[in-house]
Amino acid sequence: MQPGFKSSPKAHIVRIVLTLVAVMIAGTFIRQAMLPDEFGKLGHYRPGAVEDEANRQARIMSSESCFECHPLIKKIHVDGVHKTVLCEVCHGAYADHVKDDVVFATMPVVRGQDIKPMCVKCHNKIIQAMPPESIKLVAFPEHLEEKKVRTHHICDQCHHVHAPLKWVHEAREMMGLPPERERS
Amino acid sequence: MHVLAEIAATASGYVFPNDLQVHWTLMIVLYPYITGIVAGAFIVSSMYHVFHIQTLRPLAGFSLLFALAFLTCATVPLLVHLGQPGRAMSMFLTPNPTSAMAGFGYFYAAYGLILILEIFFIYRPTLVARHQAAKGLKRIFYLVMSMASDNLSAEALELDRRIIRFLSVVGVPMACALHGYVGFIFGGVKANPLWATPLMPIIFLLSACVSGIAGIILAYVFLMKVSRRPIDPRCMRTCVKFLGGFFILNFSFEMLEVFTHGYMATSHWPALHGLLWGPLYNSYWIGQVLVLSGLPLILMGVLQLTKNRHALVNVLAPVMAALILLQVLFMRWNVVIGGQLMSKSGRGSVFYQPAWLEKEGILLAVVIMVFPIMVLYLLGKIFPFWQDDKQSTIRGVAP
Amino acid sequence: MTRLRSEIDLDRRGFIKKVLSGAIGGSLLLVLPQGSALIAQQLAGVGDEKEPYLNGKKFAFVVDITNCIGCGTCCVADKNEYQVPDGHFRTWVERYLIDDQDNVYVDSPNGGLDGFLTGRDDIPNPLRDTFFVPKLCNMCEKSSCVQVCPVGATFRSPDGFVLIDEKRCVGCSYCVQACPYSVRFINPVKKTAEKCTWCYHRVRKGMQPACVDACPTQARIFGDLNDKQSEVYKLLHEPQVISVLKPDMGNEPSLHYLGLRREVT
Repeated sequence: MQPGFKSSPKAHIVRIVLTLVAVMIAGTFIRQAMLPDEFGKLGHYRPGAVEDEANRQARIMSSESCFECHPLIKKIHVDGVHKTVLCEVCHGAYADHVKDDVVFATMPVVRGQDIKPMCVKCHNKIIQAMPPESIKLVAFPEHLEEKKVRTHHICDQCHHVHAPLKWVHEAREMMGLPPERERS
Repeated sequence: MHVLAEIAATASGYVFPNDLQVHWTLMIVLYPYITGIVAGAFIVSSMYHVFHIQTLRPLAGFSLLFALAFLTCATVPLLVHLGQPGRAMSMFLTPNPTSAMAGFGYFYAAYGLILILEIFFIYRPTLVARHQAAKGLKRIFYLVMSMASDNLSAEALELDRRIIRFLSVVGVPMACALHGYVGFIFGGVKANPLWATPLMPIIFLLSACVSGIAGIILAYVFLMKVSRRPIDPRCMRTCVKFLGGFFILNFSFEMLEVFTHGYMATSHWPALHGLLWGPLYNSYWIGQVLVLSGLPLILMGVLQLTKNRHALVNVLAPVMAALILLQVLFMRWNVVIGGQLMSKSGRGSVFYQPAWLEKEGILLAVVIMVFPIMVLYLLGKIFPFWQDDKQSTIRGVAP
Repeated sequence: MTRLRSEIDLDRRGFIKKVLSGAIGGSLLLVLPQGSALIAQQLAGVGDEKEPYLNGKKFAFVVDITNCIGCGTCCVADKNEYQVPDGHFRTWVERYLIDDQDNVYVDSPNGGLDGFLTGRDDIPNPLRDTFFVPKLCNMCEKSSCVQVCPVGATFRSPDGFVLIDEKRCVGCSYCVQACPYSVRFINPVKKTAEKCTWCYHRVRKGMQPACVDACPTQARIFGDLNDKQSEVYKLLHEPQVISVLKPDMGNEPSLHYLGLRREVT
């Protein structure tokens, strides 16, 4: 120790170094305590996150889940050209209808004038980019004029929404006309 | 949602649906701005301590305090921006080694440590003297600040001097890392044609140096005027010279980047062209380049190439510094916001206008930029800015 | 393509007939209880393994542009499944119109959610090519998003799905900036990042992703490449042009496209 000074020449340096070391050790322990469970086991992430995502409830259950309780509609739907259209797209998700095996809400059913925009969304020729091999495209009012139908008619007056060519086929059969070429 | 609808109305061309929203807002413009000033201010100090540029001696201590004031506030815009700021500690707990942004936690802390330590060692004689002269709470405060040491012998001071030398030498690459990684946060994003260039960390670093020097010039002139003291003319001229030199480099690299893109005209060029001559035209060509780069270059030319009196330097230098500080802010805006205005479709862009009163709005940005000045004021109460102040025996500073 | 589709149609019809009109005992082997709702098991061999991850499976997602009619049903189903806030999209559909001067016109009104209800009247030249492109997460093998996440909140699971840990995401938006395909966004309610997950929670239960289920024209196909009977296996082993988006980014996306044109970005 030098005369006149209370602390040694290196005292402050030693104290700084000790403080830093203490902070680093404490920090290491705190970090270990605060790390999420098993972090890093499978990669730089929390493994529980995979299960969190897997345990999410599905809301849309696909048409088969609807057919279980709606067998009559199933019968019509599965043989028509709309068989690839999911029930829940027009009627809402299963999860909004049934919870814990109990029906708690009724599903929306589109009727009347509201039907036309729904059909037109897929079948309108004006949209330009649809591949005609995939789907029948029609334009209005040409479609109605061509079929010699009054132009204020809505789609479901001729087309059963669940099987759009059902009534058309039946009508043609009744009239003794050859069946319309079904699109594959 | 209505905000998105408003932005959609400003969109030109085809913008991906998720690209309508600009995620990195004014707050993220401020963060590199603040860390840039930190790094730049440190460079001023290193020019004295490491490169022995004697004329900068008056600013050696002040520039470190200036850097510290801005460093303490750099986290604020980030916390305001984060969707989940309560989880910000994760940057320290689980930093992803492949993510440039994860460098924020440890690079920032390490650099802050170097800065604080250097300030401690430089000002230790002052702190000891103040401890011995003070009474009551202030005495205890300075006791803690001086690490309860009072040894100011030649041996102790020589040891301090070597440590200061070491810290300032280590501090230079650390300052480069601190702002270089920010540049790499942008430069490493290959998905964005404006950002993805190896020049990005260099441009950010150079504009950081520039903003730091400019900030110090402005603060120095202001403080000297307010306290009615003489401005050291050789110090000012040296600062102006370095500001000018770094600025020429900075401007050259900024122009080189755009020029190279335009010259090579790859498939990304139409999108970039649409951006720079579209929503970014005013803030880039008129703002950043013409006015805020052109004028400082002219002023610099006047100051360097003509014989002039110190009084002229003391007027033109702060003007040039203010313009350059604005230029760096504009540059950060043009990079951060500009890059997001282009859609990744390469076929369209949107327009972004921050509001005054929103969560990441203009008012808050102004408030955040005022914080460091307040911190600097407080630091000035603890540490003397200038070495000819009473009780400011910075004997530890090497000649 | 048409031949294949009608074969699948027959299969599908037969399959449904088998499941629903067959003996309950027999069909129980093919259905999975979800609560007490019986849904057809759509992915063979999934849902009954003991381990948590989809081991031994290699999932593939193929988008067939030639079948997409731009109805937006996939977007509706996806929005419904995840209750995605308005203005943000986990999946969307774009319409491309290319004229005979090689000008490309692209649009995606509200992500295609309402379908494409009008034509474009701002095209002076005759059109040479028109098509729809559904977009969703590309599940890159070298994802930019996983690389840049600062806290490890987005990652590639052991079964190859890039997922997001909602509990750890800090909402910094770096992943949104890094994704070359703009499939990520910040959920304004949860304030964390979100994106299409190829319906991981459904796939783990043996169901198809919601958009695949919903698509009425089989423009989206999903399945296990290790199952040689699956449609994806057949599609990805036929000699035809199979593309990915932005291959020059180096992300090695797992989402494959059939019928993709060079103009699509």
